[in-house]
Amino acid sequence: MTATPLVSPDEVALSQKPAQEVNGRLRRVSRRAAHEPSTDRGIVSTADWRRTRVRFPLVTLHLILLIVLIIAGLLPILWLLKSALTSTQDTLTAPLAIFPHGITWDNVAQAFGVNIQIQNYFLNTIWVAVGEWVVQIVVATTGGFALSVLKPKYGRFISGLVLATLFLPAVVLLIPLYLTILHPLVIGGSLLNTFWAVWLPSGASAFNVVLVMRFFDGLPREIFEAAETDGAGPFRLFWSIVLPMSKPIIGVVTVFAVINAWKDYLWPMLVLPGGVNPASVQPLSVRLPNIVGQTELGPLIASLAISTLIPIILFLIFQRTFLSGGGFGGAVKG
Amino acid sequence: MKSRRKAAWLAVAGVAAASVALSGCSGSSGGKDANGKVEIVVASLQPGASAEALAAFQKQVKTFEKKNPDIDVKGEEYNWTGTTFAAELAGGTLPDEFGVPFTDSQTLAKNGQLADLTKYINKLPYAKKFNPNVISVAKDDKGHIYGIPFTPYAMAISYNRADFTKAGLDPNKPPTTWDEVETDAKAISKALPGVAGYMQMTSGNTGGWELTSATYSRGGRMESTASNGKVTVNTDNDQTKAALAYLHTLRWDDNAAGSNFLLDWDGINQAFGSGKVAMYMSGSDVITALVQNDKVDPKNYGVTVIPVDSTNSEAGVLSGGTVAVVNVKDTPEQQAAAVKWIDFYYGQPQVEQAPAVTQAKALQANNQIVGAPTLPIFDKATYDEQQSWIKPYATPGLLDNVAPFTSQILNENIVPEPNKHTQDLYGALDSVVQAVLTQKNPDVDALLKAVDVKIQALIDADPDQAAIK
Amino acid sequence: MTTSSERIGARAAKPGTPRGRVRRTPATWVKRGGLANLIFLLPLLLIFGMFSWWPIIDSFVISLQHTNFVVTTWADPFWSNFTFVLNDPTFWIAVRNTGYFALLALIFGYPLPIVLAVLMSEVKRAKAVFSVLAYLPVVIPPVVAVLLWKTAFYDAGRTGVFNTILGWFHIPPQPWIQDTVTAMPSLVLEATWAAAGGTIIIYLAALTNVAPELYDAAEVDGAGIWKKIWHVTLPQLRGILLITFILQIIGTAQVFNEPYLFTKGGPVQSTTTILLLIYQYAFQSSDGGSNLGAATALSLMLAAFLAILSALYFRATKGWSQN
Repeated sequence: MTATPLVSPDEVALSQKPAQEVNGRLRRVSRRAAHEPSTDRGIVSTADWRRTRVRFPLVTLHLILLIVLIIAGLLPILWLLKSALTSTQDTLTAPLAIFPHGITWDNVAQAFGVNIQIQNYFLNTIWVAVGEWVVQIVVATTGGFALSVLKPKYGRFISGLVLATLFLPAVVLLIPLYLTILHPLVIGGSLLNTFWAVWLPSGASAFNVVLVMRFFDGLPREIFEAAETDGAGPFRLFWSIVLPMSKPIIGVVTVFAVINAWKDYLWPMLVLPGGVNPASVQPLSVRLPNIVGQTELGPLIASLAISTLIPIILFLIFQRTFLSGGGFGGAVKG
Repeated sequence: MKSRRKAAWLAVAGVAAASVALSGCSGSSGGKDANGKVEIVVASLQPGASAEALAAFQKQVKTFEKKNPDIDVKGEEYNWTGTTFAAELAGGTLPDEFGVPFTDSQTLAKNGQLADLTKYINKLPYAKKFNPNVISVAKDDKGHIYGIPFTPYAMAISYNRADFTKAGLDPNKPPTTWDEVETDAKAISKALPGVAGYMQMTSGNTGGWELTSATYSRGGRMESTASNGKVTVNTDNDQTKAALAYLHTLRWDDNAAGSNFLLDWDGINQAFGSGKVAMYMSGSDVITALVQNDKVDPKNYGVTVIPVDSTNSEAGVLSGGTVAVVNVKDTPEQQAAAVKWIDFYYGQPQVEQAPAVTQAKALQANNQIVGAPTLPIFDKATYDEQQSWIKPYATPGLLDNVAPFTSQILNENIVPEPNKHTQDLYGALDSVVQAVLTQKNPDVDALLKAVDVKIQALIDADPDQAAIK
Repeated sequence: MTTSSERIGARAAKPGTPRGRVRRTPATWVKRGGLANLIFLLPLLLIFGMFSWWPIIDSFVISLQHTNFVVTTWADPFWSNFTFVLNDPTFWIAVRNTGYFALLALIFGYPLPIVLAVLMSEVKRAKAVFSVLAYLPVVIPPVVAVLLWKTAFYDAGRTGVFNTILGWFHIPPQPWIQDTVTAMPSLVLEATWAAAGGTIIIYLAALTNVAPELYDAAEVDGAGIWKKIWHVTLPQLRGILLITFILQIIGTAQVFNEPYLFTKGGPVQSTTTILLLIYQYAFQSSDGGSNLGAATALSLMLAAFLAILSALYFRATKGWSQN
């Protein structure tokens, strides 16, 4: 459950029709018939690019843009890393100086030390993300398979129920979901301070189900029919045929699931207040605000830096996947 | 065919197994752990407390468990916050034993949220020795006891001795009137740019708490009780307005209040510990928490009584404290065990030498505070005796540094906090305190009147108040 | 969406049985794949049932009750939670604040990604560098970002990071979140910084799908760069722009992290938003500590408002995204 202030690719993904239908003449730039000199162009034509009157201001603008992006995107992270290696005193008195008294690893040592034990909370964050991913994949693939491939008679009804929750603002669920966690209907005791409290509700994502359903809808029926005449039952069909073909959509669901798990704050804060052993269950997003009042600035900044390092490294490695969140149109079409 | 059926039953079995596994994730299993011992979860320290503080706590847990082999004690991080506490209690996310402030214990007892511990507490040797004013907060109107009060405190001014010296002031002669506080604060802010000479708490209900304390020190009251028992809220009084005007001047004219005005209890303690605030209003025993959480050096710590208007006979020092209570949902065995823990951890060290010394030694060994200034729970004689037992283990230099407080406090008029919807009152006043610090021209009268209306409505809706004609 | 006329997994009737006269027993239901269907749907049904459908129904029920985790009674009159909220002065403050946040985010946070994306789409070399830099703030976990801004950047002393930078330009130090006037804009600034990158990437993808012939045609008509942007680029983006517009409104209406972590709704309630008020009703109320009825009532009111707003919006803009 997230409430991002601005747009998330999730919602845009679903609101947009697949690329082909928006504009009947739409096609990818690279596949254009090249009967025109301007093949690879945007607003500015290749001819325009050659004219200095156009190129000069444009390149300047791009340079300015680059500088702005470096300042807004890169410098905060660099500052964070720098300050993690700077003593609290230096950060307080001269925050923009670069290592006025040299580098110190003390903050990092404290972050991993007995007082903060950032590594435990880091592992919890990973554990939360993994569990949420598993639950979401299981629910979306099995449910999507049933609704899109098996198509039972009541399937339409279930799909409708799922779709109805698609654009529901998360806020409506907050209180009753919390009560459900405190007093689950079927299971015995409270799920508070257990991973289940974050894993299970994450599976109720209509977005995932719809994504997977649409993907499955796009799979060629002939393969299914062939498998069926070969004697494959639905389980065989799911496990050996459909799932292997679903790698693209599983990839998309994975990216969204991991990102959402890492970013979530309000819900984990409510259901993982700590209990007897917070280090065994609280993720970073819950723990860090809790200890701000008891942690010196230096170790706190080091903890923040450590918390953000892995997401950034993962992003840099898997750039294509992250940034194609905007190009989801292609992924969904398959 | 075969494989499909098998897969089907496997799936069903899987779901069944999962639900069994999930049901094992419930909370306490009736209060008994695997070995048949009674298991209680007790409040330990704040999240993020230093490892040494936790070690000292664990040491005492071990000592207790050795003495009581049938009880298994688990410590749980605990941070009482006025805003969320009531929901946590109702929602069941609190430990079995925990602390509530004096302002809340009676209301909670009346609401049936605390375990009635009368029969366990009456068995304790010191049950009759309690200072009646102090134990009254833990009793309901039928005389049942719901907990044991500990660490009663009086409001004080904590200050950074080094900052005093740097500003040319004598750390052994802290200010004794509000005017002197202002003068010293100005001097410090001038000598040490970026340091707030004086600040108060402003959020998380602590703004109203400290504003009430400032009002008391000038001779005012926030709630008054008529002879028929009807309680009236009157925050819109001269002393409160004077206290707010004081803060306003300090902030806008003197520039001595620093630049961060959203400070709750944790926040101001941290600001003090990191040197951003030189003087602030605090509980008299805050040094314990400052060492646990904010790495304050006791040698650099000073505390004095909050300035009291000697011309006003009503002026006094706000006092409060914590009551160790037990969750009403606990089984009788858990309640008995919890009282044993409370007795061991809070009670005995006040009245018997051996436990007092053991506790002091454990704290001292882990560089925790021994000798923080509090008020007597029983009587002065007992208090003095207890102080003499722990004096050999007192944190070096601390007793001298707290002398400005300890030497003066017993001469003062001690006034308990308001007791009707106190936390609501404090919470509503937070905004007023923030207003004078973050707005140049706040309409203080209107803000205070709004608080009066809101809190009066809450009080009037209470059944016992509504019954009064 | 291709659909096969035969349901996958359905089995034909037993040979020898006239069609339409299959005896329906549990065994035949299993044979026809009914059990398999159910088993596949089980995870979805269980999870959605327990954690989506039931809570939705429950929220309506709770909004009609006075409940605080311990005691539950029916509200009397049944709409009293809603009137409680409407009569609470803090509610109107929260509405005003939330509207202010949404408005600021719209004015400063909505056009910015469009401008940047259009500019970035024309970059010829090292496109990836631009995209990565733009997206970096999105990758930082929100809690980390807020704490970083709160403890370091927005420190209102002269040695706060931003104030130090302002000092280079001889601008006096700003109070940022310590002042009722500047608190909300400070929140919007951080929120925009954290989210703009995601929207830029979305727009970039949409921009690559704009057919170049349209630009060629515009140039034939003598259009300069600005005209091309106005008459080709933006209309082509119309669909996605309309969507991100309403999604941003819906998102900012539910903002919680920034007000809660930065200022807890202060100073003087100047950053108390609707979500924050719901949280306060639920977990910080007087009267037993939680007023779940009021909290749920307010969340339903917000959801209803957003639903109506979205419906009206899509009605109004239905004709606009056709080309």
